[in-house]
Amino acid sequence: MRRRGRRGCIWIWIWIISFWLALGSDAVPQAATGNEDVLAVAGDIGRRGGRLVASLHSDPKCLSPITAVDASSKEIIGLLFADLIHINPYTQHTEAALAKSWKASPDGKRYTMELRHGIRFSDGSPFDADDVVFSFKVYLDEKVHSPQRDLLEVAGKPIQVRKIGPYEVEFELPQPYAVAERMFDSVRILPRHLLEHVYEEGKISQVWRTTANPAEIAGLGPFRLKQYIPGQQLVLERNPFYWKVDPSGTRLPYLDEIAFLIVPTEDAEVIRFQAGDIDVISRIGADNYDALARDQRAGAYQLQDLGPGLEYNFLFFNLNEVDPQKLPDLRRKQEWFRRPEFREAVSAAIDRESIVRLVYHNRATPLWDQVTPGNKQWVNPAVPQPPQSLARATALLHAAGFTRRPDGVLVDPRGQAVEFSILTNPSNAQRTKVATIVQDDLSQLGMRVHIVPLEFQAVMTRIFDSYDYEAAVLGLVSGDADPNPEINVWTSGGATHLWALTEKKPTTDWQAEIDRLMRLQTATLDYRERKRAYDRVQELVAQFDPVICVASPHVLVAAKNTIGGFKPAVMGDYALWNADQLYWRLDRHP
Amino acid sequence: MIFAFTRRLAQSLFVVFGVSVLAFLLTDLAPGEYFEEMKLNPQISPKTVAALRAEHGLDRPVASRYALWVRSVARGEFGYSFAYNCPVWPLLRTRACNTLVLTITALFFSWIIAIPTGILAAVGVGRWLDQFSAVCTSFLLSTPDVLIGLVLLAFALHTRWFPTGGMRDAGHVETSLFAAGRDFARHLILPVMALTAGTIPLLFRHVRSATLDVLDSPFIVAARGHGISRTRILFRHVLPVAANPLISLFGVSMGTLLGGSLLIEVIMSWPGLGPLLLHAVLERDVHVVIAATVFSTLFLTIGNLLADVLLYMADPRIRED
Amino acid sequence: MIRKNKRRFSAAALVLLLVPVAGAGFFAPYDPITQNRDTPLAPPTPIHFVDQHGRFHVRPFVCRWLADDPGGVGTREDCSQTSPIRLFVRNERPVEGQTLNPSLRLFGTDPQERIFLLGTDGYGRDQFSRLLYGGQISLGAGLLATGLSLGLGILAGCVAGYFGSWVDDTIMRAAEIFMALPWIYLLLAVRAFLPLNLDSRQAFLLLIGVIGVAGWARPSRLIRGVVLSGKQRGYVLAARGFGVSTASIMRRHILPQVSSVALTQVALLVPQYILAEVTFSFLGLGMGEPRPSWGNMLAGLQNYYILTAHWWMLASGLALLPIFLLFYSFADSLQRNFPDLDLAR
Repeated sequence: MRRRGRRGCIWIWIWIISFWLALGSDAVPQAATGNEDVLAVAGDIGRRGGRLVASLHSDPKCLSPITAVDASSKEIIGLLFADLIHINPYTQHTEAALAKSWKASPDGKRYTMELRHGIRFSDGSPFDADDVVFSFKVYLDEKVHSPQRDLLEVAGKPIQVRKIGPYEVEFELPQPYAVAERMFDSVRILPRHLLEHVYEEGKISQVWRTTANPAEIAGLGPFRLKQYIPGQQLVLERNPFYWKVDPSGTRLPYLDEIAFLIVPTEDAEVIRFQAGDIDVISRIGADNYDALARDQRAGAYQLQDLGPGLEYNFLFFNLNEVDPQKLPDLRRKQEWFRRPEFREAVSAAIDRESIVRLVYHNRATPLWDQVTPGNKQWVNPAVPQPPQSLARATALLHAAGFTRRPDGVLVDPRGQAVEFSILTNPSNAQRTKVATIVQDDLSQLGMRVHIVPLEFQAVMTRIFDSYDYEAAVLGLVSGDADPNPEINVWTSGGATHLWALTEKKPTTDWQAEIDRLMRLQTATLDYRERKRAYDRVQELVAQFDPVICVASPHVLVAAKNTIGGFKPAVMGDYALWNADQLYWRLDRHP
Repeated sequence: MIFAFTRRLAQSLFVVFGVSVLAFLLTDLAPGEYFEEMKLNPQISPKTVAALRAEHGLDRPVASRYALWVRSVARGEFGYSFAYNCPVWPLLRTRACNTLVLTITALFFSWIIAIPTGILAAVGVGRWLDQFSAVCTSFLLSTPDVLIGLVLLAFALHTRWFPTGGMRDAGHVETSLFAAGRDFARHLILPVMALTAGTIPLLFRHVRSATLDVLDSPFIVAARGHGISRTRILFRHVLPVAANPLISLFGVSMGTLLGGSLLIEVIMSWPGLGPLLLHAVLERDVHVVIAATVFSTLFLTIGNLLADVLLYMADPRIRED
Repeated sequence: MIRKNKRRFSAAALVLLLVPVAGAGFFAPYDPITQNRDTPLAPPTPIHFVDQHGRFHVRPFVCRWLADDPGGVGTREDCSQTSPIRLFVRNERPVEGQTLNPSLRLFGTDPQERIFLLGTDGYGRDQFSRLLYGGQISLGAGLLATGLSLGLGILAGCVAGYFGSWVDDTIMRAAEIFMALPWIYLLLAVRAFLPLNLDSRQAFLLLIGVIGVAGWARPSRLIRGVVLSGKQRGYVLAARGFGVSTASIMRRHILPQVSSVALTQVALLVPQYILAEVTFSFLGLGMGEPRPSWGNMLAGLQNYYILTAHWWMLASGLALLPIFLLFYSFADSLQRNFPDLDLAR
């Protein structure tokens, strides 16, 4: 009697233990339990399993959302952590993420968000409003110096957060902000249970360096860190507690692992892609794209030209107030640069069509103002787009008092030859090529232009510190389709008002108008009114040329044919923004 | 003897110290700083940039920064990397090991190939082997490293016999030691070939030149006159004497162990010191640059010292001095 | 005997290769900066003797090259329009910055047509002309840097070798320090601090000067070795015994021994510094656009795929090979054996 009972006992134990092990293992697809607030996403229904290999151009510098600023780190962090409200790069609209719903108060200053119930971090710990409050406290703490703090300020004052219930938080803004929702994108929620004591010790800005133990890192993103070998590869594995499911109810992500190889040059990246080592490339240059297209029959990959992204390349003149003692030459030349006719003539003389054709192999779009056609919500198609016209340029210069000597050299009203230099940074080969074409175009007007290739740091020093430059070719990528992140570029006194950093107050009528319109669209909540204001800003930029926009390169991606759910976008992380929905169509062994 | 050796050691230490000071000053000279790049980002305020600079001590004068660095060296950290947000030493150590594996293997193969070829060429001077090797080495010497690396990569891509870069395949870290070792060896082949192709020409010439010098000397002629066999002459009489300049060369090539492979590492994505240093220079991650420079100097001086010591031990004539 | 012939042969071949470079104004058909935007990345223009109707012409001719389609980047040949190759054509427009601007050019075609012996680059500029004009910069840079580093190296080596003891020690340690430092920073600094209105050619030559000066360390060790062994020779000891002044001894006894080594060093250093110029252009410190140099012509080739699709862009790289080979074989022929390039002692 007793013996049989013991045997029965043993079987019960075995059954209990194996059940417990099965629950803890990743191999078994975790169906969502009833009291979990999962998000069902639309899209293909894919197969679980497999590893995707992507690449990074440099090592990620740190894995902490608090301090990371470089692109590689941000890409990994985007896969490890989640935010409250997320901007979908494909649609460019906001969508619910960790906050399942939110409502704004009538005055637009208070946002109450309801968080998802019952979801857990990648280490199994539960998520609640305390984590949200803690995260914002860390980001907004002045002593931590997190770059995130600058994004959470409205009109110079930080937002405030308050916990209302176990899954409810309220944000208070100092003033109504048109795109308050978009502000929460990429503000990643941190695990309070792991970081609170570190924060109290004051060491929070050193946490989660790349040497950190993967077990110490927990987030709400689709993947979690498995292993990092510096200089070689970074491997992420599926987060078994991820809170999104596909239309059939299977928990995402489909992929078991994503591995990022660290490949420093784009050429090496393309070679490894062709060899089959890498499965997807997020950004290719135009010549590599053409080379891959030539061999496409042999390979089993697809190439996509997504059209212009949010990047704009431009030429600009130095309009800063400089000390005439220190930079007398520049001061003299600024008399030319400050005349709108001069800048307009330069813009008219630039052969944008040749730039698109020769520099970008036709994989770019010419631009006359800062908003590219890739930004469908905000582009102003009514901005005039005149083709190159040397006649018009010459007429404009003539009207401004410039004349041409018999030997062809252009002289200003005082009789001095028009000669200036353009700074470029040779590590970006395409912008240097743009400068070369511009130089040739302007020589047809009689201007003598030197191209000065300086290393990037030296260019930065001249533009931001010493103001010792005459003209430069640079490019910027808008952080978001919405115009708000660009406010520091276009308003006087902004930190990235590159061509006139000394201009704290507007010195011209049109700059004053731009300031007024930018501030207007920040505060207005109505999209149509904001669009009207920003349209006018674009027209002013195209007319008065504080910067002379030239072209926007297209976003070019490549991926293996057998990747399912591949829907690259022109914003954010082009190829992997929906990594949680990517899957392998055929059976593939890692 | 001992006194001379100690004097050299002291001088070498002084050299390393001098290099650290000069490297500090030199990195200060070039414009730009690590955090300068952040200014271009419209979403980071100047206040944050200034605060980050202050936190890392970048707003202090040079002397104070140097003192901080020396203290950090004493702690074993060798400075702080702004980019990686961690002490420099662990970073440097892994990358330097990767580079050393590559360069030591390449050096080994270069010597193994150059010595017999050089000797044979010298022995048969003017004949077809000599001419042929002279042409080959001239050709290799004239081809830039960049071209060699690119050609090998293209070859790897077209034949698929070799991996096209990196140190290991993605995700092969769980497999057995044997498989991992084999994978590692496969990835090592191409970079070693590229490096060897660059170093063999010079080595060959030195071996040939040293052997030729010895072959001309009277005692060898006398030995041949005595009827001693060619092989015995070669190994017993020629080699020990010809080894003299080669030993110093060996010591000197130790100095290039850390620095000579930068270009190849970048082209072949080998995770060594080269790519780390390149990015550090371009981004102005000054502590990494200074630490790497100091280490290269250390290798250089140790190499020279080793050459002198070996020479002293191997060549009785110097001992007489 | 063979050696003497080899020396003469390599020297003559070098001079032969250098003449078109020096006289680029005459030998090149076009100036190096004119862009032909309709024909970017065009392959070398084929030279025909038989036209499309099957007739043989004694005088070779070329066909016109057109853009493949107006908005595209491809090019194709159109043999309905031909133009003969002419010798001694009139110079279309003088190239600025050149001291010699002869009114004639060696060869060319009709004024509106183009002959691209080595194809065109991404802006449609003639590669062959750029090769010749660019050679002036690259070879000039190599010679200038070599002269500077060798001159300083000889000075330092002689002083160190002759005087010995602490002078020798100081100079050799200084040489070690110089070899160890990251000169890239100094170059970045120099480049960054140069005034903006400096001609790109002047800026570049200044940089080369800095490299040359910083490169004194390696030749100095070699020279020192030669001086050390030369110092022990019988006749030098005798001269010292006679009380001949140091300067005289240096000039009459030491320097001649050094000179043969120095000449070999020249032949070896010039290729190294030309290669240094190529490396600088990769980093962007080289000659600024639009002026060509072999370095910045190669820098555009960092993309491996251009190599496979447009092999003619490698022209400047391929030009390096024979020049290096000739320099090295000239160096070989000067020595009884191959020289000891770099020894610790």
